[in-house]
Amino acid sequence: MTGVVKFYREREPHILGIGFIVLFLVVWEISPLWISVSRGVSLFFTTPSQIAVKFYQLIVDGTIEEHFYVSAWEFVAGLGMSVAVGLPFGLILGRSRTMDALLDPYVTALNATPRLVWLPLLIIWFGIGIWSKILIVFLGAVFPLLINTYAGVKNVDRVLVNMVRSFGAGEWQVMKIVVLPYSVPYIVAGLRLAIGRAALGVVVGEFFGATKGLGAMMARAASAFQVDVVFVGVAIFMGISLIFTFAVKKIESNLTRWRPEAVKTF
Amino acid sequence: MDVKEIYQKYQRLVLGVISLISLVALWEFALTYVITFDPFFFTKPSHIGAAAKELLLGARLWRDLAISSRAFLWGFSAAVIVGIPTGAVMGWRRRVEYTLDPFFTGLYASPLVALAPLIILVFGVGLSGKAVLVFLLSVFPFVFNTYTGVKSTDQLLINVVRSFGGKERHLYINVILPSTLPYIVAGARLAIGRGIVGVIVGEFYAASEGIGFAIAYFGDTYRLPEMFVGIIALSVIAVLLTEALRKFEVIIAPYRAGMESR
Repeated sequence: MTGVVKFYREREPHILGIGFIVLFLVVWEISPLWISVSRGVSLFFTTPSQIAVKFYQLIVDGTIEEHFYVSAWEFVAGLGMSVAVGLPFGLILGRSRTMDALLDPYVTALNATPRLVWLPLLIIWFGIGIWSKILIVFLGAVFPLLINTYAGVKNVDRVLVNMVRSFGAGEWQVMKIVVLPYSVPYIVAGLRLAIGRAALGVVVGEFFGATKGLGAMMARAASAFQVDVVFVGVAIFMGISLIFTFAVKKIESNLTRWRPEAVKTF
Repeated sequence: MDVKEIYQKYQRLVLGVISLISLVALWEFALTYVITFDPFFFTKPSHIGAAAKELLLGARLWRDLAISSRAFLWGFSAAVIVGIPTGAVMGWRRRVEYTLDPFFTGLYASPLVALAPLIILVFGVGLSGKAVLVFLLSVFPFVFNTYTGVKSTDQLLINVVRSFGGKERHLYINVILPSTLPYIVAGARLAIGRGIVGVIVGEFYAASEGIGFAIAYFGDTYRLPEMFVGIIALSVIAVLLTEALRKFEVIIAPYRAGMESR
């Protein structure tokens, strides 16, 4: 008896946490048995087991593979572009007061407004092909990166900068020796946020006027009342986002171990 | 504030305004004298200005904004009412934290907007579908920020209240609430952005009115100046809301402005 209690005590957080998720799935699974729903409502209803079966079928017949590659390419290309643009701009805005003042109105306005509002314009300019999606992913992901890099640069220890300067370092060397290493944890935190935004961009971008991609698959399934296919898509996006988020979080905590206080993210 | 500080603040504002004006001027100049453009695919500030005048004087834009903000307010209020107590209980009761944290973290980390087609299917294209979407997207910032705020309450202060014979009620009102409030306001700032995403996606996806629908409709009919007016109107609202909350954060807790959990 005490053995069981001890076992439970040591693992209480995990048991309760996993237990709740399992309970949720079980209740969802058996709910049709004790709630009788009308024909109309059952059209919108599915259970975890049906979703799993559908998931398997879609993998076997290659539907998922076909859509997945398109979505993955949009995600990777958009995120890559946002790193290529967000990082340098964050560094520049953090180091140069004038550039900061000049570009601040645009950064504030674009960051506060959901970048999705640009989607109709991007579709007009770039068509319903892959480029409008890559650009919406880019727009969504670039600002968390830019703003976090900026915050990292702004928070650099002035004493260290002055010290390197007084030993004759130029702006480039200050950047390389002090600023960049100091802002790495901020940049990684920005990357974590950017991944979430990029996933959102892929999903929503493909909802509207796309023919390929997981988002398009979901939108088409929803209008055909194939609720289980929609949930397969949701599950894939959830899984990918969770894996990425926790991987980056792991890197983040490894990089910030030496810091006395946690990095604030924006 | 000394003279130099005032000057720096002033300089920043001036540079920002100069940069905005010169961009607009350059855009107008380039499209008037340098490039001949196709009005189907591009537009210029003077056309946007004319469209803005027409739309702002008419009733349509205001009606769209009112419809969108109604959906937003319903969803957002529900998120406040559900999110803050949930977060508070999670921060205050250990077992509740263990039970709910993994589940909510999973939901928060995943793009819940992927559920949009389903939610529209179930709740319809009207007010309720959008409100549910807004709720779903904006509830987790409240949950997690309240949770972090309660968790990071200074244990010393709690002990002080307890050892001076304070009741639980005093603990909540005098210690936990003030130390959690900045986190909640920061959470609200995040939630506003996500809530607007909810409205926009809901209206892009299926709607016959609302600001998101208006932007998509003007886009579909190649009326770019009108579309830009819609985008700019939405930006102005979003900037005003977030900046107001940022100021509010500084006012209620100047010592820890900008706190947010994730």
